[in-house]
Parts: sequence; structure tokens; C-alpha cells
Amino acid sequence: MRPERLYVSGGCRTVDCAAQGNNARLPSTKCKERESLASGIWAPCTARPLGTSSISFSGNKESSTSLSEGKENEPEKNEANAEVNTDGQNAEVNEVTENSQQTLTSQLETEPVVKPEDSKQVEKTKSGKESLLELLGAMKVEVTTARKIRPSKTSRMSERPDQEPMESAHSMFQHAAAEGSPQHGTLNPALVAAVSAAASTLPNKHQAESELLKQLRKHEAVPDTHRRADGQNIGHIIADMKVGRRPNGRSNARPTSQIRFDDDGKGYTQERGITGELDGVRKRKSPFTSPTLWDIDLANHIVQTTNQMPRNGFEEMIQWTKEGKLWQYPINNEAGLEEEASVPFHEHVFLEKHLDESFPRQGPVRHFMELVITGLAKNHHLTVQQKKNILTGSETTSDRKMMS
Amino acid sequence: MAAWKLLSTGMGFLQSSLPFCRQVRGYYVDWRMVRDVKRRQMAFEYADTRLRINAIRKNTILPKELQEIADKEIAALPRDSCPVRIRNRCVMTSRPRGVKRRWRLSRIVFRHLADHNQMSGIQRSMW
Repeated sequence: MRPERLYVSGGCRTVDCAAQGNNARLPSTKCKERESLASGIWAPCTARPLGTSSISFSGNKESSTSLSEGKENEPEKNEANAEVNTDGQNAEVNEVTENSQQTLTSQLETEPVVKPEDSKQVEKTKSGKESLLELLGAMKVEVTTARKIRPSKTSRMSERPDQEPMESAHSMFQHAAAEGSPQHGTLNPALVAAVSAAASTLPNKHQAESELLKQLRKHEAVPDTHRRADGQNIGHIIADMKVGRRPNGRSNARPTSQIRFDDDGKGYTQERGITGELDGVRKRKSPFTSPTLWDIDLANHIVQTTNQMPRNGFEEMIQWTKEGKLWQYPINNEAGLEEEASVPFHEHVFLEKHLDESFPRQGPVRHFMELVITGLAKNHHLTVQQKKNILTGSETTSDRKMMS
Repeated sequence: MAAWKLLSTGMGFLQSSLPFCRQVRGYYVDWRMVRDVKRRQMAFEYADTRLRINAIRKNTILPKELQEIADKEIAALPRDSCPVRIRNRCVMTSRPRGVKRRWRLSRIVFRHLADHNQMSGIQRSMW
């Protein structure tokens, strides 16, 4: 007689839970948090129409990883632009812009930087409208989910969009600074008030405030003729930041894959992106010094010595959810597949282009491959890259050898 | 998969092999269990390949020559990569027989734990 006939299980799920718990489900809470926060902060901004020049930045932006920075930058800079507003090209702009949330949030991030100049240069930006439209055509919005907890509070947004014009912009700015003296001795008092309010949200209040005020002053000081494309104004701002640079030496010398610790003690790995250039710019721009190696060592020490074992089942479940062993609630069927949401469906369905041209058009082999393609087209669980790999045989070269 | 569950519970036995010939310390009950774990890992690795080769072998559209080539290819794969060689052993005692799939325990361990009230929701039945 089997043992379980003597025993009755009333929905015993402990072992099953443990078994299922090891299914790797990529945590997607972080992106959700950011999106919800971004949307929450974004709501008050919708009252203000967006400026033309803000679109150009979204065009120049390579990835919308700055959703996180947008969340941080928006509170500080939205107040700075409470008064500044462009009415001129808003209607056309709103038609032109894509309605994806990423571009809009990216516009919001670029908005504050651009607004001070916009208020002065309504006619100048019209000349850049054509370049704007070109940029929009070439615009590519990437949504990355591989981001960890938000990085340090540097406005990476303003660093990313223009790396190439930076050099030229910097030289331009130097010309401008050399030539022009500030035309207006006074700033708009409302702007100043907004700047102080914004700076108070940042950790380093006085420095941030002085930097923001400096930006405002210089935006007004630069003569009109030197404002060509809007993309280059970012370069000005980045160049501005050079003034407040502190010699950091090799404080940022650490392997890019090493985990860093943010202020709240959570870790994140350096994003593989334009890290080399970003590091240089971020050093100057950060209101506080990035954690040194000793800080990291101390954080590791603390983490190891403090008792981090879960005290009860709830904490254990929380830990497992953070690690990705448990699913996130509410259940998201596309957990781990957020990037795929932005991939258009035709890339999934029309897969014949991935086949070789030399592939036979008739015959049983073609029939077989078409069945494979049809099956892949209906597969909801593979990414386009995986499907491509399957078809080109880079997954298993033996398949291709057999086909040829 | 079951392979990964064993790995995570059994502390990365195979990952700890370093080139300095340190002693390999693991928590698997016996060597047969270790070999079973290895087979599960290999089956996981080669699962996609085997699936594709079998898709070529087991269909009626492709010509026989291709299928023969596929036969040879799949025979050339390592023997431990086929899932048929995996045996569902008891997790606690590595007993190959009398293992209930839902709990991954042999009947003896199951009875032992259930009698000591360690199995949630299991009780002695009478009707």
C-alpha cells in the first residue's frame, strides 16, 4: 500500500512553492516604480505645453534610461520653469511628437534645461525646426529594463544627448563667453525663487543653487547669434558644469562591473553605455562625490556583519521576490519582457527575411523552413533576437550545416 | 527545473571545482546523486539542440538523407545530454525507487516526515 493513501494532503503547497520559487522571474518592480513615479510627477506638468526645442533633445537622446533621472530632475527643475513658458510652437510641436511616455518624459527632462533659452529665442528655434524634424525621423527610443536601482543623482539626461557637439559647443561657448558680457544684470525674480526651491530638494543645496543660477545667467548672456541648434545648448550646460569641477583624481577607478552602493544602501552595477564619457562628465556634475572605494568597503562590511537573515516567512518571501525567485504581484504575464513591448509586431511575424537568399525556394526544405517560420511567428515567448538566432542557425551551427 | 533546485539546495558542488585540486565538498547524498545532477545539467544545456535535431528527424517532409544525417548528429552528442537518463531520485536519501514525484521523496522519508508532522497538510487518512 502506498504511503500517501494513509495520508491526506489538504492542499499542501510548501514543496510546490519551493519548487516553483526557483523559476527565475526577472524583477520588474523597479521599472514599475519608476514609471509610476514618472507618471505621477508628470501629471502636474501636462498643464504646461511643451516647447519646441524640448523635442530635439528627445531626438538626440539615445536611450530613455534617464527615466530614473527624470524622476529626480523633474522635481528640481519643474519649479525652476514654473514661469517660463513657450507659447509659440506648442501646437505644432504636440502634433509632431510621439506620444510614447518615454519621449514625453524625456521631453520633460530636457524641457527645464531648454526653457530658459526658449523664453528668449522664439525665432531662432524656428530655424532649427527642420533639424528637429530630421532628428525626430531618426529618433529611436529604447526602453531598458536592465537598469538597477537609480544611480546617483546626477542629471545624466543632460549629459547623454550630445556627446559629439560637446566639443564644438564648448568652443562656441568659450567664444560667446569671451565676447559677450551679460546683457541683463538681473534675473527674473520668479526664476530665482524657483531655482532656490528646486535646489533645496537636492542634497547639496548651495552648490546646486549657485550652479542653477549660473546656468540661468549664462543662458541669458549668450548672444542670439550663437544659438544655432538646440542640441548644442546642452553642450553649453555641460561646459558650464566644468567650472565647478573638483579634482577627483582616481576616485572613480573601479571595474565597471563592480557593484556600487547608493545612499540608501542598495547596490547597482554601472550601466554599460557611454560610461567612459559619462564618468568624466558626471564627476564634475555630481553635487556630492561618488562613493569612494573605502565607502564601498565599509558598506560591504556592514552588510556582512549585520544580521540579514529573514526573521519570518514574510521577509523570506520579500527577499526571494527581490532576488527574482518569486513572481511579482500583481502578476504580470510579461515580466522580464518589457523591452519586447516596444518591438513592433511585424518584426515577429515576417521572419522570412532572416533566411538566406541562397536558400532553395522550392522543395521540402523550404516547406520545412516555412513551417518553422510559422511556428516562430506564433510563439509569444521568444524575443525577436532569439528567433533570428534560431533561423540563422547561430544557436546551433549543426542545423545550418544540415540545411545547406 | 529540478536540476537547478538540486543545485541551489545542494550548494554548487560542481561550481566549486578549482584548478588547485582542493577537495570537492558537496552536500549530495551519494555519487549516484551527483551523476544524476550532472545529467540534468547537461540535458538542460543540450535541450534546444536536441529539440531541433529531433524536429528534423521526426518529420515526414524532409528527405531521408537529411534525416539520416540528423540521426548521426544526435548520436554524436554526449550521452548524458539525453533526458531519458535522468532518474527521479529521492532528494533526501537518493533512493531511485518508490519516489513520489510531487514531493520528490521516497516513501520511507515521506512516511517519516509525515508522522512527525513535518509535511504541511498531510495527515493520516481514515475513511
